[in-house]
Amino acid sequence: MSVDLGIIKIDQELCTGCRRCAEICPVNAIEGNQGEPQTINVERCVVCGQCVQKCSAYAAAFEEGITSRDVKLVERGMLTSVKEPLFAAYNVGHAKVVKDGLANPTLFKVVQSAPAVRVAIAEEFGLPLGSLTPGKMAAALHSLGFDKVYDTNFTADLTIMEEGSELIERVTKGGTLPMFTSCCPAWVKFVEQAYPELIPHLSSCKSPQQMAGVVFKTYGAKINNIEPARVFSVSIMPCTCKKFECDRPEMNDSGFKDVDVVLTTRELANLIKDAGIDFNSLPEREFDAPLGTYSGAGTIFGATGGVMEAALRTAYELITKQPIPDVDVKIARGGEGVRRTTVQVGDLELKVVIVSGLKHVVPVLEEIKAGKADFHFMEVMTCPVGCVSGGGQPKVLLETEKETAHQNRTAATYEHDAKLALRKSHENPDIKKIYDEFLGEPLGHESHHLLHTKYTARKG
Amino acid sequence: MNCFVVANPDKCIGCRTCEIACVVAHSDKSLFTAGTAEVEFNPRLKVIKTATVSAPIQCRHCENAPCANVCPVGAITNKGNSIQVDPAACVGCKTCMLACPFGAIDLVSEYYEGEKCLQEGLKISQGAGLCAKDRIIANKCDLCVDRPGGPACIEVCPTAAFQLVKNDNMANSIQAKRKQSVTELSILRNRR
Repeated sequence: MSVDLGIIKIDQELCTGCRRCAEICPVNAIEGNQGEPQTINVERCVVCGQCVQKCSAYAAAFEEGITSRDVKLVERGMLTSVKEPLFAAYNVGHAKVVKDGLANPTLFKVVQSAPAVRVAIAEEFGLPLGSLTPGKMAAALHSLGFDKVYDTNFTADLTIMEEGSELIERVTKGGTLPMFTSCCPAWVKFVEQAYPELIPHLSSCKSPQQMAGVVFKTYGAKINNIEPARVFSVSIMPCTCKKFECDRPEMNDSGFKDVDVVLTTRELANLIKDAGIDFNSLPEREFDAPLGTYSGAGTIFGATGGVMEAALRTAYELITKQPIPDVDVKIARGGEGVRRTTVQVGDLELKVVIVSGLKHVVPVLEEIKAGKADFHFMEVMTCPVGCVSGGGQPKVLLETEKETAHQNRTAATYEHDAKLALRKSHENPDIKKIYDEFLGEPLGHESHHLLHTKYTARKG
Repeated sequence: MNCFVVANPDKCIGCRTCEIACVVAHSDKSLFTAGTAEVEFNPRLKVIKTATVSAPIQCRHCENAPCANVCPVGAITNKGNSIQVDPAACVGCKTCMLACPFGAIDLVSEYYEGEKCLQEGLKISQGAGLCAKDRIIANKCDLCVDRPGGPACIEVCPTAAFQLVKNDNMANSIQAKRKQSVTELSILRNRR
């Protein structure tokens, strides 16, 4: 199975060559002369989709002399019911695949949604920027016909158990430091292609999406008494690169393709509209237990600094055996490119770095290569302020509204965390249960087999 | 004198952000994300791109507006310092579109609260039956008269290609050019 790198595309008929996408591309993957249609260098492209967010060259309803809208919709993998304007930069979609899967009665349909989806999807239905709607989102997924509405936030908690334990082990037993987070697939692809010599620094943990994928087709199939082969696993992501991640050939530790299809937040909105579901008036529903139970630590993965904060909440308590003085680790919050800070964890002065926006990471990586880095742990998110600003999120049309959108989505993420009864991953009762019943212990044999992965150098 | 917005083709990069800002500024719904934009996507200016040049084209708010002079129902008038179309009076005859020397007028479906307006009497005859027909009206730059910040296109342009031409800045610029001309004349005199 080969990975399709051509997920992000530029429509040659619509691109005006303004090159504003090239300005924000973190890896200089957009090539072409000013004023001429641009192309994407798929080897360099990290599939972050920021160009898709930026593009303002669209096809008007009755544009003449170009391929018809219906043909374009099919080419783009979009549902033919979609009414929004089509822009030059786009990601290949999979809403039709999910629609067909949902209509197949022999499949057992499970779904997961990333933390950042619940703070943005309502924008597609005309609600204010950054509206928090986990209950309506879960209700919409139930209405679409999913048998189980599970959650990526559950496996975000699971990621913290594994990644927190991995960090403690590397610090105490002398493993490769600094350790890098590995939940952002665009960041992982970037390390593999631009800094393969630093691969040992990446945490071996799979991303929450892929942990969910493998857990749904093993433990999930077991508790639901379903043949794993019948499980159709869909993931809703704020991210275009998650489509690349789920296609990686090694992501099949369940014995099957762990995540079958990834939809972006926007594609889910299209699917909900296509099904004639009135999102705004849906009564709220819960996620299904146990694989949809989550803590506030899981939900803050959606904002820059969130993985770090969630990891610190757990690592602090695992190391010191004391409750963390303040569960809100505010020094991890920000979004200013590169943030460096020190956290006192018992006797250990843990030095951490948080990077938001991939272009900011290069000087830090050079520092590590030169042997000048003195920190232990680095979180990197490719998109400007983390997943809430991901390439698959609702497309904010005006630049002037973008900042408000990012701020509101971030604020909604922390508000959600603050109001949840559970705030720490290791206190999630269903996390304890999955270790008791199935996984054993963090970094144990089963965890190692299912929840950890290896990386591939891609330098040509 | 009437005001108008004009763009400098040397600065325009053809990104069409102005068209999007125009659509958002004239939508009666909060419409910031593309997914909700299924309602009304009719910009009142149009970025034109040729092999050598790109720039948006929009209403020049002519002093002797040909569109108003040919409108059979008096739907186009000079209001404040601009030429405005009264959508309620427009009959969709398209004469203004033919008369406009700039191509600044489009005919589009009329919307009210996010829904297309349908006609009371006129129907489309289709096969054996009749079906409803949208109300179609003239659509052009209104200088964002109802918008506190002024024209939205000017605000969002990433290269600041737009200029709002008004009486006072036009007077200043003309005065400056005349001064320049008189200086050039004096150079001629000295050479003689």
